[in-house]
Amino acid sequence: MEIGWMVITALLQITVVLITVLLTVAYMTYAERKVLSFMQDRLGPMEVGPYGLLQPIADGLKLFFKEDIIPAGANKIIFSIAPIICLIPALIGFAVIPYTEGFTLFGMQGGVIADLNVGLLYIFAFAGVGAYGVILGGWASNSKYALLGGLRSAAQIISYELAMGFSIVGVLLLSGSLSLVSITQAQSGTWFGFIPQWNVFLQPVAFGAYVIAAVAETNRLPFDMPEAESELVAGFFTEYSGMRFAFFFLAEYGNMILVSCLASVLFLGGYNAPLPFLSFIPGFAWLALKTWALLFFFIWIRGTFPRVRFDQLMKFGWKVLIPVTLVNLLVTALGVYIYNN
Amino acid sequence: MGLIKTVFMTELLMGLKIVFMQMFKPYCTLQYPHVKHPIPDGYRGLMSLLRYEDGSERCVGCSLCEAACPSNCIKVVSDEVPGQPLVRYAREYYLDISRCVFCGFCTEACPVDALAMTKVYEASVYDRRELMFDKRKLYALGEQFLEDGKAYLVAHGMDDGTLYPREGLGDNRYAFPPVDTAHGGEQPEQIGLTREALEVEEIR
Ligand code: SF4
Ligand code: SF4
Repeated sequence: MEIGWMVITALLQITVVLITVLLTVAYMTYAERKVLSFMQDRLGPMEVGPYGLLQPIADGLKLFFKEDIIPAGANKIIFSIAPIICLIPALIGFAVIPYTEGFTLFGMQGGVIADLNVGLLYIFAFAGVGAYGVILGGWASNSKYALLGGLRSAAQIISYELAMGFSIVGVLLLSGSLSLVSITQAQSGTWFGFIPQWNVFLQPVAFGAYVIAAVAETNRLPFDMPEAESELVAGFFTEYSGMRFAFFFLAEYGNMILVSCLASVLFLGGYNAPLPFLSFIPGFAWLALKTWALLFFFIWIRGTFPRVRFDQLMKFGWKVLIPVTLVNLLVTALGVYIYNN
Repeated sequence: MGLIKTVFMTELLMGLKIVFMQMFKPYCTLQYPHVKHPIPDGYRGLMSLLRYEDGSERCVGCSLCEAACPSNCIKVVSDEVPGQPLVRYAREYYLDISRCVFCGFCTEACPVDALAMTKVYEASVYDRRELMFDKRKLYALGEQFLEDGKAYLVAHGMDDGTLYPREGLGDNRYAFPPVDTAHGGEQPEQIGLTREALEVEEIR
């Protein structure tokens, strides 16, 4: 009986979270096009539905009905599974994101699909797997452009995963846990009654480094070297079409939402309201607000910065970001040690 | 100072601010199929053949347009007006608008301003054969966009609306203007007959 309720609760939560994530992905593409348009004095999609609101649905249908081409000479098996390797890690990470305060449903604990005690490691492990999708997809396409995109992606993800990891270790030291639920709970409350106890105030450098590394991890401008359309056509998914292309697309946006969610949870207090008197607004709204703010930032920098050169990217990653995060880690560790004694 | 600039990436922040402010500026998109840009009179759109007010065809079948066309897309089949020897017209007139480069040379070449370009620029069709304009289609366009055509001729300085008096022509279908008023020029000075003309005299 117990098990039955557990499965039902888990399935319910998975459904809700997955639908929310997919809807967010759909409307993220819409929001991106709209916001970029406004930044460039344009209007963006206006034709499908009022103010183009149904555009994501039209796009999805279009991709669904597109011909699916496997190029000659491509490795068929790897070519087919690469998009899936890319997509699943992007979606699976949401399982450990606490989306709202804990509640009980049918006697079961809700608020997060799975409260893993290694939640953070789990997300990072799967992000690493996702990189394989990109590399394998690029390799299996039997195309120069795709291969170069995949190689760049490998180099970039390795360099920036390090910086991202280092920036997060500071947060781990502060909250003493790898579980995202504990990390969020440690950030409730305020200092002096008006500063929310968020990690971003203790770890501003780590937050900055995390955001930069996240942009690089998700292959977004100005670090979109793996797809760099002006040099590599479309990078690793040059040869993909139809639903497989859509999978890569979903994975890219899913990853963006995942890293934004993670940044909200790690640095911006997750579902916690900034101030106690605002806590009548439900937790998931706060998480959504913070995530969307970060997503807006993603679009914003896409609209502002030109793509960096590959050597600049590597130089910045290895010579600036990693040393900065390491020093930050050292300072944090010292601070925590002194504070605890 | 330079160090502070580098560490806090002030240039990047400045760029971000500018882009953010740009979001609140008015857009400059024209919602094209719903809103259309006004087209100037001199616009070179689809070709049309015009008629005089009394309904007679302006074209006299001289084939000058055919000779002027750089892309060779005009074909005129000239003929006498039945029962009126010496008065000619275009029995058939073909203009392959899919090959036309919209240079307007043909309208310049036409001695009677029979050709004029309309403001129609949405020329897409499902069947390319529809882009092979024949005489009927060209006159229909001319009728439909008569005002555009007239405005075109005026805008290009070929006609100020008073060039071709239609009264007192008798059997003739056109008359050339006595003075080239449209171009504001003097009448060219007559310095005796040209060589060709003299030869013609001699033959006679
Ligand atoms: S506009 Fe130019 S190309 Fe077109 S028919 Fe006239 S002369 Fe030929
Ligand atoms: S359209 Fe003008 S130039 Fe062409 S045949 Fe007719 S009169 Fe001559």
